[in-house]
Amino acid sequence: MARRDAVGRLALYGACAPVLAFLLLPSLVIVPMALTKGQMIQFPPIWISVHSFTDYLGDPQWFDSTVLSFQVAALAVAIGCVTGSAAAVALHGRRFPGKGLVTGAIMAPIVVPLVVFALGGYLVFARLHMVGGWVAIGLLHGMLVTPYVFISVQTSLQAALNPLLVRSARSLGAGRLSVLRHVVWPAIRPGVLAGGVLGFAVSFDEVVVALFLQGPQTVTLPVRMFTAIQFELTPKVAASASLFLALSVLVLLAQGVAMRRRGAA
Amino acid sequence: MNVALPIVSLPAQAEGTPADEVRPRGPVADARHHLEVDRVWKSYTSGVHVVRDVSFSLAQGEFLTLLGPSGSGKTSTLMMVAGFEAPSRGAIRVDGRDVAQLPPERRNFGVVFQGYALFPHMTVLENVAFPLRMKSVGGAARRRAAMDMLDKVGLAEFAARRPRELSGGQQQRVALARALVFEPDALLLDEPLGALDRKLREALQIEIKQIQRRVGVSILFVTHDQDEAMMMSDRVAVMQDGRIVQLGAPDEVYLHPETPFVAGFLGETNLLRGQCVGQQGGCAVVRFADGVTGPARLSRGGARPGVGAAVLASIRPERIGLLARDAAADCVVEGVVADRVFLGRHTRLVVQALGRTLVVSAAEPPAAGVARGAVVRLGWSREDAQILNEGGDATG
Repeated sequence: MARRDAVGRLALYGACAPVLAFLLLPSLVIVPMALTKGQMIQFPPIWISVHSFTDYLGDPQWFDSTVLSFQVAALAVAIGCVTGSAAAVALHGRRFPGKGLVTGAIMAPIVVPLVVFALGGYLVFARLHMVGGWVAIGLLHGMLVTPYVFISVQTSLQAALNPLLVRSARSLGAGRLSVLRHVVWPAIRPGVLAGGVLGFAVSFDEVVVALFLQGPQTVTLPVRMFTAIQFELTPKVAASASLFLALSVLVLLAQGVAMRRRGAA
Repeated sequence: MNVALPIVSLPAQAEGTPADEVRPRGPVADARHHLEVDRVWKSYTSGVHVVRDVSFSLAQGEFLTLLGPSGSGKTSTLMMVAGFEAPSRGAIRVDGRDVAQLPPERRNFGVVFQGYALFPHMTVLENVAFPLRMKSVGGAARRRAAMDMLDKVGLAEFAARRPRELSGGQQQRVALARALVFEPDALLLDEPLGALDRKLREALQIEIKQIQRRVGVSILFVTHDQDEAMMMSDRVAVMQDGRIVQLGAPDEVYLHPETPFVAGFLGETNLLRGQCVGQQGGCAVVRFADGVTGPARLSRGGARPGVGAAVLASIRPERIGLLARDAAADCVVEGVVADRVFLGRHTRLVVQALGRTLVVSAAEPPAAGVARGAVVRLGWSREDAQILNEGGDATG
């Protein structure tokens, strides 16, 4: 028996390893390519230099795009957290005709094909003369972030907000606002945080909307990478991509630590 | 400060009578906090009435239980008193003031739910201090009052813990402390012990009673467990289909049920059909099957059956005695023992008599010599046979 187990396990690992490699390699290959000595993005890279990183950070255009992406993501997360949480709290435990429709409308931005969403956004903001400004991109990204926050806040409401807690608080003298502050907020805080982090990642590497709404002064980092890879093949693309990778690894680690801490508590 | 009594280990009698307990109620100590539910209805637009014309009052320091099966309207009634549901009709008064229109946070009731609903992100002390915080009591005073109350329930040393670090019994005490700390007009308890196993349940029942005696608060309690209701209450209101069908002291309701439902819901009983052949004091003389005739107590509120009317009587199994050969009783029946089960504290006999089976719960000494197939003489007194009202107007 034990022997058959061992063989089976080996076969399982043998089958899984290529799949994992297939999933991870395209992301990991970026890092050595950023460490090339050459002036072109190429594989295999010419070992080993960090000049592409210093070039990337030293180039004002690339630097501005990076700052812009952070700016857009920050606005998007701020909007998404407020609207997503508010929607989740408002719908929690309520039943009314048309609730499915409302939920559908909140989820629409990530269900509707992104090009359609981006084109619609473009037409609206063109009318408002806001195309080419970062606020327009931030607002649309905010709509994209909302469903993510909505879902994760909904999950934490279901997990942590016993309706009896609300009733208890009311009977103990808490008005509706106090209930929000002392009972609802502590329950949804982890959900808002998780949704916000995820939303930040969504906005930060979003290309389609950012492409439609770009202007001379508002080229977000992924859009700049996208155009750079077509015209100049600079290793700065790989350098900035490595930055993305580092960011997402950080987020994953932070989530892991948070989960473990919650599990232990 | 440190007069915390280890509640669990206290025998129930060590507390003194509730009347001479000191009530921590400040200047309003002698005001009678009086809760009155007056002809309250709860109806839905679908035409369903979940509470129908319910009236009762709760005196200062009284323990009143709403007892009924699920769907009988007991929880809806409690929720209307607490303010989570609005009555469709009727008034809910505290000291004569109608509170039916006030939101729950502006009423002054301490509510304890099943599972206790303690705030998981707050410490025990913060939980207990919460209602005072909501009433804008200053930090130091709040802390002091919350600590005092924790002291009273014997949990002062657990003040810094989180609720999930406490046992079920300790959590209940925190919930009670939190509901008591702001000196509510009454405690409302909605099946707080519903989800627990029997042993813990019994321990916590005793604890609730002890805390009530110590603090002197009025309690409105909801349960579907008749033993719990009888053990804890000063008065029991039995509910069925949204109505209170009988309200009285536990022994009164148990021994003298007024309807077949109350008789059956509060425990095992023998329902005997018969015919009224006359009246005698507060009793009807009833002829049962086989020509056996005996007096049975009339219910206080019920209609008097006329001579010749069909009646239904309820006799509890433990109220039927095994009679020695020459002993007398108000009503005597002979029967054959069909089954006999020894249950420790008593022996359960199933006796074939009056053309049916009677369940008799007898103490072991008289029941010891009785074997299956034996002929026995059974008897009961006029006080122990209770005439029931069948379905309101059916008795005529």
